[in-house]
Amino acid sequence: MIIKTPGTTRGGLTRRTLLRGLLGSAAVTVGLPPLERFFNESGTAYAATCEALPRRFGLFFWANGSLPEFWVPPDTGAGFTLPPLLEPMAALREKISVVSGTKVLTGNPVAHWSGAGGFLTGAPLITRGGEEYTFAAPTLDQVIANEVGSATRFRSLEVGIERGQPPISYSGPDAGNPSETSPAALFDRVFGGGFVAPGEQVEADPKLRLRRSVLDAVMGDAARLKARLGAGDQRRLDQHLTGIRDLERRIARLQEAPPDLAACVRPEAPLAAYPDEAGRPQLQAINRAMADLMALTLACDQTRVFSYQFHRPVSNALFPGASMGHHQLTHDEAGSQPEVKAILLQIMGELSYLLGALDAVQEGDGTLLDHMVVLATSDCSRGRTHTLEDYPILLAGSCCGELRTGVHYRSPSSENASRVPMTLARAMGLRPLTFGAAEGEVSEGLSAIEAG
Amino acid sequence: MKRPSLAIARISARGRVLAVAALSLGALALPACEEGPPPDLGAAAPAPTVQPLPPFEAVPASLTRLTRSQYGNLVRDLFGAGVVVPARLEPDVAQAGFFSVGAGRTSISPRGVEQYEAAAFDIAAQVLRPEGRGWLACTPSGPEDAACYREILAPLTRRAWRRTPTADELDGLVALALDAGRTLGDPFEALAFPVAQLLQSPHFLFRAELGEPDADGTGRRYSSVEMASRLAFFLWNTGPDAALLDAGEAGELVTEAGLRAAAERLLADPRAEAAVRNFFVEHLGLMALDDLTKDPTVFVHASPDLALSAREETLRTLAHVIFDLDTDVRTLFTTRTTFVDRRLAALYGVPAGAQEGFAQVELPADGPRAGLLGHASVLMVNAHAVSSSATRRGAFIRKALLCDVIPPPPADVDTSLPEPSGERPTMRDRLSSHAANPTCAGCHAIMDPIGLGLEQFDGIGRFRTTEAGATIDPTGDVDGVFFEDARALGEALAASDKVGPCLVKRVYRYATGHEETLGEIAEIDRLAQRFASQGHRLQALLLDVVLSPGFRTVAAAADTDETPSGEGAL
Repeated sequence: MIIKTPGTTRGGLTRRTLLRGLLGSAAVTVGLPPLERFFNESGTAYAATCEALPRRFGLFFWANGSLPEFWVPPDTGAGFTLPPLLEPMAALREKISVVSGTKVLTGNPVAHWSGAGGFLTGAPLITRGGEEYTFAAPTLDQVIANEVGSATRFRSLEVGIERGQPPISYSGPDAGNPSETSPAALFDRVFGGGFVAPGEQVEADPKLRLRRSVLDAVMGDAARLKARLGAGDQRRLDQHLTGIRDLERRIARLQEAPPDLAACVRPEAPLAAYPDEAGRPQLQAINRAMADLMALTLACDQTRVFSYQFHRPVSNALFPGASMGHHQLTHDEAGSQPEVKAILLQIMGELSYLLGALDAVQEGDGTLLDHMVVLATSDCSRGRTHTLEDYPILLAGSCCGELRTGVHYRSPSSENASRVPMTLARAMGLRPLTFGAAEGEVSEGLSAIEAG
Repeated sequence: MKRPSLAIARISARGRVLAVAALSLGALALPACEEGPPPDLGAAAPAPTVQPLPPFEAVPASLTRLTRSQYGNLVRDLFGAGVVVPARLEPDVAQAGFFSVGAGRTSISPRGVEQYEAAAFDIAAQVLRPEGRGWLACTPSGPEDAACYREILAPLTRRAWRRTPTADELDGLVALALDAGRTLGDPFEALAFPVAQLLQSPHFLFRAELGEPDADGTGRRYSSVEMASRLAFFLWNTGPDAALLDAGEAGELVTEAGLRAAAERLLADPRAEAAVRNFFVEHLGLMALDDLTKDPTVFVHASPDLALSAREETLRTLAHVIFDLDTDVRTLFTTRTTFVDRRLAALYGVPAGAQEGFAQVELPADGPRAGLLGHASVLMVNAHAVSSSATRRGAFIRKALLCDVIPPPPADVDTSLPEPSGERPTMRDRLSSHAANPTCAGCHAIMDPIGLGLEQFDGIGRFRTTEAGATIDPTGDVDGVFFEDARALGEALAASDKVGPCLVKRVYRYATGHEETLGEIAEIDRLAQRFASQGHRLQALLLDVVLSPGFRTVAAAADTDETPSGEGAL
């Protein structure tokens, strides 16, 4: 476990300050691409301890809740007993923690979406009558991306396994971030034209300058249009402009020499398509391709923040072996719901695969998973009743020793679930005073899972 | 609350009716799903507080993103039908049932920006290849032929941005072409850059129709040039052609006569049929057919191709009623005329009529199937992956076709149905548990009895008479009108006084891109009366909507950001 020093952000210094200290009088200027901060003048990596490595955040989301009687560990603290639904995590048990007994307090007017939006933003949904809604605030992944995203080529990446997903990652009201649900599309974005692997030569390309000129002109168009708009439309155009600036920055980096990251290699291209087999989506095959790509995306430091939407809230996906869609089963299956349980075991198996892929990447004195935290959660507690009590929350990775792993914390008092995002934002080096809004707002994290 | 999304009936979480207006529109105010006897939905709706309708009040403009279909249509208008429009584009977002409403609320995500950039260069490469250059106004003599660049870019920008570009804007595009020409040495490679700018500009990707002071200075109207766009996107689902832009720039589209003439021309063009199809795809939720999950072990006829055929049947039938016959659209619920290919013919058990593609057929006079509610499209969308769903079908008819408001199911309620069993073989038997549970009964009493009328059609729309060995009872009632079976349900809907006004409301919502506000109810009411008096012909309605102040006038944009309002939550 890494002992926090005054060099960490929680000690009051930014990473930039820290590196300036580490590098002494070496020529580090503000204008340098952030990755170069992790390398000395000859381009070799510093001893990759947590002080010098970036921290990453991942959100794993699945639909239709859990079965608390099979999800919550029977005992608490370190060395807790893995409950039936977490048996797929056995190999990673020292790197995961379970938080149970907390409650999402932001209301439940739109089943499933209230849970997803309420927990990930800490704020009640904006509802517009009937079943119309939007998230009211940025989701945790975007809160973090706003702070750390400018250091990498992609400020965040959103992926999904099931096709046709409405977003669960929001930058603000009506500003959802759609998920990439094709491994081939993710590969093209990250490892296609714009990617340079360590050791590869960057060829001069005069078209890159022209592409930036195009984007400059587009930004000029937007600025002139913006002046004529009302406040709400200005906000929407600003969202568009943010994306254009991101893209321009990304193009500017294409001609920089790639950093020498030991674990970074260009992956094999995944299959172009994963057609349904016998009317059922190939969730396992897609998940494994996507997980492998995501691990290398982080290993190559292309982004530090991702959301990973296994399936959409209210998903009625037909899982292998299931007699009906997932959502329908959670409502219609009688008794202890063995089919729902079997589906949850499949999902946890796929989460375990993702975590294993992250843990297989060696970085310095640990693994990629050690240098990040993955929050795994769902859109409600029990699918049958859409309850928001005893919310399902699994954490993986210690985020460079900021978080306790291998423990089960059970809230004795139905604490506000927003305490978990608060703690994770802090573990990522943010210093938020509060997280959430209205009944969901907190100013405290969950000290039981914070490393002392 | 400057822009209330008043759904006519506004219902509090406690089930108290706050305000109910315009009952002539057929709005149905339902108490929330609370304990108590099912609401009586016959002649006696819940006693509402009837308020006089306020006078018409225009709604502020909002920036509207092109939908995916509009982007594709406009690109093909600019460069020719042969352009392959890239599929990876920002997805549409349905709000209030329509992409056209979502387009006025959402923006473009960072991923969307990337996708639009890639698409712009992809399109530019296609249309600047030797075989793609038919749209060019001239052939550049070299990489620095500024005059020819200008000749190409001026009309292209005008069509793409739906207005004549300013001198500065055009100079900027030409300068970009010259810069690229000097750098790359090839005029066609160079043109890719201004073309890519055109296609990524907010002037292309967004519709900014902001209005101007009207003629007598008392309010605001859309400018004549903006009206060209509004007309084209509503009636053609694409941007205006050169003639419409000419009319717009000549100031003709702020006069009733000019607007009528332009709208009549657009309605007579084949693109109007494409736009009406697009409306019904959104209105009836037929986009779901792109990616519908059906268990092939349960439904052996199910396939992605069958779903697409089913959508085509519905759209062809609509086009037939609306354009070929220009008749009462309510005949859609009863007509035995339909369009099938071999796949659908096999599903329906009727002769195919054609070896290839679709053919018009008459369904048997004594058969179980007629009208929209017998179409596989709506039957398979409103069903589960492994079964039918009387509740979903009932909710579809209530919400989409009758414009009733159904509160969402309450959270924290055990929604499980009893397992199929010897005692409860049919869906009707299983759904009876809803009626027995007072928490569920209130809402399900208005959905299930309608949907049960379609139970003789399985989860993909195949006719059956039994379920689990028991005979299916297809009787039910809709708003107090008893019906024998699906065909009788169709006849009941065709005769319902709610169907016409509901369609008017939905067309108005689609055309204006926002949920109706209180200040628009009286105008929608008037349009509904006109619709009825003109024989429920959709083309006449489209023309009336174009001429309505709701389509032609606009309020000034608000100074404050009102989007995240939470009205309706109460």
